[in-house]
Amino acid sequence: MALPNPALSQIPDGYKFGWHDSEQPRTTFEKGISAEVVAEISRIKDEPTWMTDLRLKAYRHFEARPMPKWGADLAGIDFQDIYYYVTGNSDGAAQSWDDVPDYIRRTYDKLGIPEAEKKYLAGVGGQYDSEVIYHNIREDLEKQGVIFMGTDQALKEHPDLFREHFGTVIPANDNKLAALNTAVWSGGSFIYVPKDVHVELPLQAYFRINTQNMGQFERTLIIADEGSSVHYVEGCTAPTYSTASLHSAVVEIIVKKGARVRYTTIQNWSSNVYNLVTKRAVAHEDAVMEWVDGNLGSKVTMKYPSIYLLGERAHGEVLSIAFAGDGQHQDAGGKIIHAAPNTTSLITSKSISKGTGRTSYRGLIKVYPGCEKSKSTVRCDALILSDEARSDTYPYMEIDEEDVTIGHEATVSKVGSEQLFYLMSRGLSEAEASAMIVNGFIEPIVKELPMEYAVEMNRLIQLQMEGAVG
Amino acid sequence: MTLTQTASALDAEAIGRISDRHDEPAWLRALRARWWQAAEQTPPPTGQEEEWRRTSLDNLPRDAGLLLDAPQLETHLPSDAAQAGVILTDLRTAIREHSQLVERYLGRVSGPASHAHFWALAQAAWTGGLFCYVPRGVSVDGTLVARQTMARADINFHPVSLVVAEEGSSVTLLEEVVSPDGATGWYGGIVDVQAAQGARVRYANLQQLGDGVWRVGAERVVVGQDAVVITLNAEVGSKVTKLGLDVLMTGKGGTSKVLGLLAAGDDQQIDINTVQDLAADHTTSDLLYLSALYDRAHASFYGVTNVRHGTKQTSSYQECRNLLLSPQAGAEPIPVLEIAANDILRCGHGATAGAIDPTTLFYAQSRGLDADAAERMIVRGFFEQVVAKVEDETIRERILAALARRIGSTEANS
Repeated sequence: MALPNPALSQIPDGYKFGWHDSEQPRTTFEKGISAEVVAEISRIKDEPTWMTDLRLKAYRHFEARPMPKWGADLAGIDFQDIYYYVTGNSDGAAQSWDDVPDYIRRTYDKLGIPEAEKKYLAGVGGQYDSEVIYHNIREDLEKQGVIFMGTDQALKEHPDLFREHFGTVIPANDNKLAALNTAVWSGGSFIYVPKDVHVELPLQAYFRINTQNMGQFERTLIIADEGSSVHYVEGCTAPTYSTASLHSAVVEIIVKKGARVRYTTIQNWSSNVYNLVTKRAVAHEDAVMEWVDGNLGSKVTMKYPSIYLLGERAHGEVLSIAFAGDGQHQDAGGKIIHAAPNTTSLITSKSISKGTGRTSYRGLIKVYPGCEKSKSTVRCDALILSDEARSDTYPYMEIDEEDVTIGHEATVSKVGSEQLFYLMSRGLSEAEASAMIVNGFIEPIVKELPMEYAVEMNRLIQLQMEGAVG
Repeated sequence: MTLTQTASALDAEAIGRISDRHDEPAWLRALRARWWQAAEQTPPPTGQEEEWRRTSLDNLPRDAGLLLDAPQLETHLPSDAAQAGVILTDLRTAIREHSQLVERYLGRVSGPASHAHFWALAQAAWTGGLFCYVPRGVSVDGTLVARQTMARADINFHPVSLVVAEEGSSVTLLEEVVSPDGATGWYGGIVDVQAAQGARVRYANLQQLGDGVWRVGAERVVVGQDAVVITLNAEVGSKVTKLGLDVLMTGKGGTSKVLGLLAAGDDQQIDINTVQDLAADHTTSDLLYLSALYDRAHASFYGVTNVRHGTKQTSSYQECRNLLLSPQAGAEPIPVLEIAANDILRCGHGATAGAIDPTTLFYAQSRGLDADAAERMIVRGFFEQVVAKVEDETIRERILAALARRIGSTEANS
């Protein structure tokens, strides 16, 4: 099986993206957050007043709101011990890898991104710490009016389109972390697909945290106009440092009438990153929204991609896969809000916990009154691979309409000794046999990934599985 | 009957008056005092707690009076059972006649964590209740029946039902809970079921309180080694029901079935919190809750299966099904799993909510039933998943009769 970059397969066991680049970035704020830091970020970015005001308003929400008391343990986050803005390149996003500073280019080469761009992708964005360092889209798509650029750049180049949609899906006061993101956001992708345009190959962005104690707060906004379609893929890595970094993104997606958006994340942050992300999509009449959400890395992830089905016959899907190894807590899931009749949804969750890892599925299905003929199915499966591992399932359901069909089912199991015995009798080691069972377990989700990601996912699972006792 | 009417309805002084009036033994006074302290140290829920987010207690009639004398408990105990040493009587009489025995079991365990305050309150302030005791090795034939009645329409009543099945014993008990016409108070009863090693207990609680009554209370079932306990909670009445039900699998090889039936209409709100605590090896616990919701009724179910760290070969399932029979009815089934062990035999849950399948309805109507009769038949069939598991004839009949009040009679006239 070929990986996007052969160099990747040569990196030995464990987390293979844990190296960091020692180049010192140019612009670094002091650690910590205040109204001054927020205003300064906006000033450096030369933003319009409405955005500065929105950032400051969001900062006040962030200050006022308590930390969430549910879900994962967030006690390790010290908001004053984080860098909120770090950049080595204030010249804007390059359109050729040759224009990207060498030390960053080397990082992306190691990650295999430029290579993948040539082979599989319609466009690529790269973000290094706070700023987008590269953005490129195939010319034919650009000619059809597809916009794919850094979010900061979009604010400057498409101010009206930007302002019309920004913060409409996830308002500044949505939750404490979304408020923080709105206050200090930097980077992320902006995508607009015009009416009836179909972007056949995926657009990809790759997010990299390089600086210790860094907070990455990218902001992604995707607008799929009527009848259009697009698949966006994001990958994330970070160096392994001894102190924690914070990734707190906000992703807003608007899927207009008859449009289709798929958003795929393979999150592979290093085991010192708190990954607290708010992702939400609205799907209008006959629209289809799909989240494919893979959580393999990070120390703590709290992420529940959600879909508001606002128009008749809209369809939403969440495919969630979580793998928690030693010391990791993956608190993931999905939310679907049925706010129109004849809407349908499907959540499939597969979680695996190993060592002292803990996975939690947390989901919500809500059906508003009047949304008759809505249908929803939630299916959660969990696999527990060790005595010290833990698995939780919190499936919330709020059904306020009679004429609906809502179902939820979950099973939790361990790798069966019979399955292991059978495979080992065929000459596999216990670790190989366990890995094979795990691969079979997550197969329904892996098959939804683009080929090179499926290969990468299998490889990551294999790495996670090494040393696992079934 | 004397009514104590105080500002807070329940306080140390009121509790002292209960003890004085009945000249209670010293151990009971001390027990009440300890539980009163516990009630004060465990404040009532604020609404922020996960289990309390869906039901507000703002309108709970906390300040209604407390009767110092409980009404006579109606009981039915077969005479041969009495001869074998089985006790079924009201708690007051039990303390008078079997003080040492009751002392050994009363108020020994804490209640469901979510309802700790209300458990403590009832342990401190009970005026009525029942004591059911089955000696070691005794098998009771037939059905024991007890009926708790709120004696007056506007009171708080916190009876304690204590059910003890000694080693290797076997018993079936139906507890009915009713209120007088037009009742508006708070029924805060708690149920404490203790099944010792190898005991077999079938306990059914049929709640038919009036539609002005708040039922905020708790039930705890402890299942000993190799014991088998089947509980059935049927909620038919009340304005608001908020029940905390914990089933503790503390003995190796124990089995529990936790069954629930809800038939609610008008503006009834039913909110059930269950915990199936698998704390010992080779334990099995299966839960099945069925709700039929009419009018503007709303049912919440927040159930937790807790597989404790280090346990082996446990087996559990949680299932909550909701039939929505009106556009204004609502359901929030939330079956939670918290699993900290990997050597599990089976663990899972399922939840559904929806209207009657139109094909089923069509089929029933094509057989000559009118729409209402077809609906009644389908709801009966839906409940049959639980009712069929009730082996005891008396209990099944009583429960079907109670459910018929909401579902309507299913005497087909076609």
